[in-house]
Amino acid sequence: MMLRLFLSLVLAVSFFGSFSAKAETELWGDFSGVTLRVKLIGGGQYEGLYNEVIPWWEENTGGKIEIVTQKNHFELDKEIKKDIASGNLDFCVASNHTSFASQYGNIYTDLNNIMPASVLADYTPLILEHSTVDGRLVQMPRHSDVSNLYYQKSLYEDADNKANFKAKYGYDLTPPETWDQVKDQAIFFSNPPDFYGTQYVGKEEAIAGRFYELVIANGGALFDEDYRPIFNSPAGVEALQWFIDLYNAKAVPDGVLNYLWDDTGLGFASGTIAMNLDWAGWAGFFNDPENSKVAGDIGLVRAPMGSGGLRTGWSGSHSFSMTESCPDKEAAASFLWALTSNKAQMIEARGGLSPTRPAIWDAIIAEKKAEGDEFMLMVFETFKMSLAEDAFTPPLIPEWIEFTNALYPELQAAILGDKSPEDALATASKKATEIMEDAGYF
Amino acid sequence: MRKFLNGPWVLLMPTLIILTCVVLLPLLLSLWTSFTPFKLTKPDTLYRFVGFRNYERLIGDFDFWIAFGRTVLFLAIALNLELVFGLGIALLINKITYGQRTLRTLMMFPMMFSPILVGFQWKYIFNDNIGLMNNFLREFGVIQPIPWLVDGILANISIMAAEIWSSTSVFAILLLAGLLGIPKDPIEAAKVDGCNSWQVFKNITLPFLMPFVFIAMTIRSLDVARAYDIVQMMTGGGPAKRTELLWTLISRTGYVDAKMGMANAMSYISIFLSIAFTFFFFYKLVEARQRLSYE
Repeated sequence: MMLRLFLSLVLAVSFFGSFSAKAETELWGDFSGVTLRVKLIGGGQYEGLYNEVIPWWEENTGGKIEIVTQKNHFELDKEIKKDIASGNLDFCVASNHTSFASQYGNIYTDLNNIMPASVLADYTPLILEHSTVDGRLVQMPRHSDVSNLYYQKSLYEDADNKANFKAKYGYDLTPPETWDQVKDQAIFFSNPPDFYGTQYVGKEEAIAGRFYELVIANGGALFDEDYRPIFNSPAGVEALQWFIDLYNAKAVPDGVLNYLWDDTGLGFASGTIAMNLDWAGWAGFFNDPENSKVAGDIGLVRAPMGSGGLRTGWSGSHSFSMTESCPDKEAAASFLWALTSNKAQMIEARGGLSPTRPAIWDAIIAEKKAEGDEFMLMVFETFKMSLAEDAFTPPLIPEWIEFTNALYPELQAAILGDKSPEDALATASKKATEIMEDAGYF
Repeated sequence: MRKFLNGPWVLLMPTLIILTCVVLLPLLLSLWTSFTPFKLTKPDTLYRFVGFRNYERLIGDFDFWIAFGRTVLFLAIALNLELVFGLGIALLINKITYGQRTLRTLMMFPMMFSPILVGFQWKYIFNDNIGLMNNFLREFGVIQPIPWLVDGILANISIMAAEIWSSTSVFAILLLAGLLGIPKDPIEAAKVDGCNSWQVFKNITLPFLMPFVFIAMTIRSLDVARAYDIVQMMTGGGPAKRTELLWTLISRTGYVDAKMGMANAMSYISIFLSIAFTFFFFYKLVEARQRLSYE
């Protein structure tokens, strides 16, 4: 479906700030009288974008945005599933995520038929590929996530720490290159209950994803080509044993199995954690003295390697989708573009989030260089390299979330010592086989 | 026809229509879905009949029955403790002659918090790292933090504490209403005859109060599923399913895994639990009333 949109190729326009952006295809139009109902992911990290982009879009198009829902992604996911079941898809645009998108069937429009090729050309091709389900581009990527390892620099500069670590482990204390080194260093730094070497997200999709990336880094895989589970393998057991060893050594807080992303982020900012594998979006918070006790003392390295010589790099992208039932697809397309435009991505990049447009990577790095902000420069350069070289998505199948719900209680059972790693993975593998069988993979 | 239009059925029709729409039809629909592989994200599956497959799977599902058993245990312990504490509070407040109204209002405060908020509060209290409980214990020399929400027994106790804090006042209010309605004459007569306080309570107050106890129990046993939000906030049923109750399991199966057919089958099995509790308390209520009228 071709749109009668007003497209303008803006050449080398300095759209704001102190840098010159590359050409961007804009997608404006006159949408006076149109009101788009939207369901958006909420939370402090996400809402700043809406405050700037929505008025900007309304001013330029004459259209109106009505936010129907704004809640965390897991609640939004439940709501959209209920909407699908009730057939009540009376909204045009919704937040989405590459790990969730395949669950929603055909409710979202194939944007290949809506977005002009010149618009799509502004995004990183690999991320657009990850945004595609069954050949249909169902989402416009907002920002990408991958994790790297933050650490307290002063711990590694301390002469006593260096000498004691070398004496105990036989190698120099430097920011870790492998997950085995992370384990050694975490145990070395830990002094529970006042200080812990590291932490991990301990439940739901979060721990399942962390396990998944470690299995890959150890040279294993979750599924074979037919989606038969193969994670009950030496690589899987080794990955699970890493979590168990840290827990048993009290190198992570006792309550870690109830932790999710906010808990680990706030934990590192509290100054009681030596190393923290986390997203780029926390960088600004960690280095803000008002919020963080480790501000000014933060180092960052690419996520370490597993025994297979690969780095962990569980990745995904937050995104926006347009419903098939939307009556104002032209306006919705324009709004999707605005939400993921150069302007929008620059706003989020300034907060530390990783853009999905190559032009914004160049722009934000240039801006941080000009400002002399060495910390954020390090953050962007590290995450740019990580996304380019280490990132991989989870299996982009509708059963991903259901699979993680079957897996994570077994991982927890092994970590708590209720089961051996082999027994836990065997049970999880059996459940995963049932899920895949029911879904008709084999 | 004319007889029908003038009969009592006409007067009952609005009620019957409303009950059919808001109770019977949803119940029948959910019953139907329990015989299908209905997934929220695949509405077409609503029309695929698979017979008792969901129920057959549940019968052999060890995790489901563990959650079922834990829910029964949770209900039994939580409701009885709420009753004991509620009775204690009601008896104490009943003794007060000044400021009773203020205390009654204060007592109802926990009921005013939404279960989600209660869950957040108690999750913070029992947090192993920054929680109030461990910091309090530290003042008394307990240096090693206690993993309240991780240890299987402690986690269930923690959740129960939150639930009991939140709902004891329901019992207290209902039982206080019962206490206020007890005639003074038999109590005074017993005291004149030389009965001590325990004998008065055991032989007069408690029998008078028993119908109220069973009414409170019946109401709470039906309403206790509101504790889902508390459990979800505090542990989400974990870790390693150690605090998994039917409510968290059903919710995750239905809304996160989107397997609403299976979730409804679980619900229909668990409905028997509710019916059993309700039947038991009604039976006891009738028995207590009969005993009271004989006496």
